[in-house]
Amino acid sequence: MPTTRLLEIDSDFHLLDMTADSGYDIGIDAVATYLPAATASLAELAMRGLLRGSVETLSSFGFGQVHLAGEQSNFQMAMHAAEKLFSENDIDRDEVGAILYSTALSSSATMWNPPRRKLPGDGVLRLDEIDDLFKYPASRLQSELDLPRASVVGINQIGCASTFAALRIARAMIAGEEDLDAVLCVSADKFPPGEPRDLVYNVISDGASAALVRRNATRNRIVACTQVTKGALWDGGSLENEIVAAYFPTAKSVIDRTLSKARLTIGDISLVIPHNVSARSWEILGKLIGCPPHLIYTENIECVGHTIASDNILNLETATAEGRISRGDYLLLFTFGYGLNWACMILEH
Amino acid sequence: MRRNIFLTGATGTVGSELLRRLAARDDTTLNLLVRRTGYDRRPQIDYGLRGVRVAATLNLFDGDLCDGDALGLSPDAFNSLTRTTTHVIHCGGSTSFALPLAESRATNVTGTARVLRFAQQCERLESAAFFSTVYVSGMRRGIFAESDFGDAGNGFVNSYERSKAEMEEVVRAAIADLPILLFRLSTVIGDSRTGTVHGFNALHHAIRLLYQGLAPMVPGMPSTPVDMVSSDYVAEAALHLIDNQAGCGVFHLASGERAAAIGDLLSATIESLMRFRPTWRKRSIEKPLLVDLDTYELFVRSVEEAGNDVLRNATRSIRTFAYQLAHPKVFATRQTSEALADSGIAPRPVLQFYPQIVKYCVESNWGLQRC
Ligand SMILES: NC(=O)c1ccc[n+]([C@@H]2O[C@H](COP(=O)([O-])OP(=O)(O)OC[C@H]3O[C@@H](n4cnc5c(N)ncnc54)[C@H](OP(=O)(O)O)[C@@H]3O)[C@@H](O)[C@H]2O)c1
Repeated sequence: MPTTRLLEIDSDFHLLDMTADSGYDIGIDAVATYLPAATASLAELAMRGLLRGSVETLSSFGFGQVHLAGEQSNFQMAMHAAEKLFSENDIDRDEVGAILYSTALSSSATMWNPPRRKLPGDGVLRLDEIDDLFKYPASRLQSELDLPRASVVGINQIGCASTFAALRIARAMIAGEEDLDAVLCVSADKFPPGEPRDLVYNVISDGASAALVRRNATRNRIVACTQVTKGALWDGGSLENEIVAAYFPTAKSVIDRTLSKARLTIGDISLVIPHNVSARSWEILGKLIGCPPHLIYTENIECVGHTIASDNILNLETATAEGRISRGDYLLLFTFGYGLNWACMILEH
Repeated sequence: MRRNIFLTGATGTVGSELLRRLAARDDTTLNLLVRRTGYDRRPQIDYGLRGVRVAATLNLFDGDLCDGDALGLSPDAFNSLTRTTTHVIHCGGSTSFALPLAESRATNVTGTARVLRFAQQCERLESAAFFSTVYVSGMRRGIFAESDFGDAGNGFVNSYERSKAEMEEVVRAAIADLPILLFRLSTVIGDSRTGTVHGFNALHHAIRLLYQGLAPMVPGMPSTPVDMVSSDYVAEAALHLIDNQAGCGVFHLASGERAAAIGDLLSATIESLMRFRPTWRKRSIEKPLLVDLDTYELFVRSVEEAGNDVLRNATRSIRTFAYQLAHPKVFATRQTSEALADSGIAPRPVLQFYPQIVKYCVESNWGLQRC
C-alpha cells in the first residue's frame, strides 16, 4: 500500500505529494474535451464590447479567437466532454468509482442563478427559495452518465488550476483506496455572459474537459505533481500587478521543484503541455526554464484561447492526436490559477 | 592656515556627509552654494547638521549650477569667493537616471564647466575635487581602472552615466591647470555603522519594489558583482584624500574586488525583509529571477505593451540601471588603496552592513517616516 506523505507544509506552501516511484502506474488513461461550436475573433469580440485591451496587443500575444457557449450551460458542456470520453474510449462505467467535478468560477459550482425571487416577508428562509444553491452539477452528471458506483466531489476555489488539483487528488485517492480503480475528472467553465473576455493579458474561451485517472493506466503515468498556493494574493482584482510580478519567479520555482521530484531535468521533457495563456508569456517562461519554443505546445492558443481549467487536457488531447507524443515521452504540464495557485505535473506517456 | 572651502551639493546624499565632517573643523570656513529655491535653505542645512558640534564658520550662498557663468551668484559674492577659496569641492549634480540627456548635461556638464572656471579664478586654490561615478564606464565589461576613461564605445545605460562621462572630459581638460582630484563613486547605500540612509536612490527604490513584490526579474548571473559603498567610507576617504593628496588623481571610492554578488545581495534582501518585517513573510514573495538580457527585454517589452501604469513604472525604474547588471565589471581601486594605505580608511564588506540598510528602509518606510 503506497503511503501519501506531506512533503512540505508551511504557512505559504501547501504541497501534498507522493514519491515519484510509488510503485503504482496511476495515470491519465483517457481524455476528451468539448468546445462550443460558436467562435468569435478578437475583432468580433471588440465590436461586441467584449474586450478591454486592444486587438493588436492581444493578437501580438498570440490570441486569435475564442469559443462561446452562448445558451449552453456549464453542465451541458461537461456532459458533452464526458460523453465523448466514454464514446471514444473503452471504459466500463462500473469501473468509475468517483467523479471529481472541478470548476474555476464559483458560479460554475452550483446551478444557482441569482437573483430569482424575493424572500418572503415573514423572514423564514424556505429551501425552495434557494434550492438551486443545493443543486450540484456533479450529482446530475453521475446520474445522466449512468455511473451509479461513482461518488462525487466538487473541486473549486483554485481557479484555472482546478483540473490539476482534481488529477492530483484522483491519483491520491486511487493510491489510498484499494477498491477504487478509476476516477473521472470533469471540468467545465462558462465565462459570465457580457463580461469582457480579456483577463490579465489573456483571452477567455468557454469549454469543458474530461479525463479518466486509472490504476494501471496504459499511458500518461503521473510521475510527479506540485501545487503552490500563495494565499496572500487571494484578491486578484486589487493585486493584479503583484500577481503578474509573482507569476514568473513562482512558475519557474514550481517547475524546477516538480522536475526535481521526478528526478528529471528539463532536457528530459519531450513536450511542455501549457495552459493557453499568452504565447508571449510562454516565450518568457520557456527561456526561464531553459525549454526551446518548439517543445512548448502553443498551437491552441490562437484558435481556442484560454478555456480556464481545460487547456492542458485539450492540449494533451490534440498533441496526442497529432502524433506529437510518443510512448515513454515525459510531458510537463503547467498551469496557474487565481487564488493564487501554480501547478505542475509530469506525465510519462 | 585657515581653509576656505567652496562646497556644492551640501544638501545631497554625499555632500551632506562631507558637510557634517567639515562643519566640525574649527580651522575651516565653509561657503556652501545652495540651489536657489525661493525659500530659506538654512533649516535644511541645520537639520543635516543635527548632532554635530559645529566649529566651522558656515556661509550659505544662493545660486544655481545652471544659472550662468557666475553660478547664479551675485558679482560681489562671486568675486569675494574667488579671492578667498582655497578648496573647491563640487558635489552638486543631477543624479536622476531618467532625465532627458539635455537636462542631465545642463547640470552635470555645463554646471561643472562653470565650477571649473570658478576654480580657475580662485587666487589661493590648493585643490579642486569633483565627484563622478564609476558608471562613466557605461556598458563596458571587465576591469575598469582608475586610469581608464569613458565607455570605450560601448554606450551608456542612461543619460546620467553619459552626462557624467562628458563631465569627466571637461574636468580632464582642466587637469593641466588645476590641482584636480576626481572621485568616482560606486553606489552609495547608507551609513555602515548605523544603517542610516540620507538619500534614497535607485538601489533603495529597487529594494522597495522587491518588498512590494513588483520586481520579478533582473538581468545578470548570480555571481555578477554589484559595487556599493557606505556613505561614511566615501566621506572619510574623500576628505582624507583632499587633505593629504598632493597633485592630481583619479580615485575609485568603490568596493572593487570585494563587491558583493547580486545573487548574495538578493538573498540578503529577502532575509533582511523577513527578519525586520516578519509579517512580510506571509506575502510569499519570491526572490527575483536572474535572467539573460534577452529574457529581461522580452519581459520589459511585454509590460510596456500590456501592463498598467504601476507595473510599467516599476519595470521602468529598475530598467534605468538594470542593464548595468548585464555588463558585469570590476572597478579597480589600486590607486585609492595605495593613497589610503596608512589612514585606516577602507570600504567595509557590504554584506556586513547591508541588512541594517534594509532595516532602515523598512522602518523609515523609505524615508516617509522618521526613525
Ligand atoms: N549617491 C551615490 O550613490 C553616487 C554614486 C556615484 C556618484 N555620485 C556622485 O556624487 C555626487 C553627489 O551625489 P549625491 O548622491 O549626493 O546627489 P544628490 O543626493 O542627488 O544631491 C545632489 C546635490 O546637488 C544639488 N544640485 C542639483 N542641481 C543643482 C543645481 N542646478 N544647482 C545647485 N545645486 C544643485 C542638489 O541640491 P538640491 O537640494 O537643491 O536638490 C543636491 O545638494 C554627484 O556628482 C553624483 O554624480 C553619487
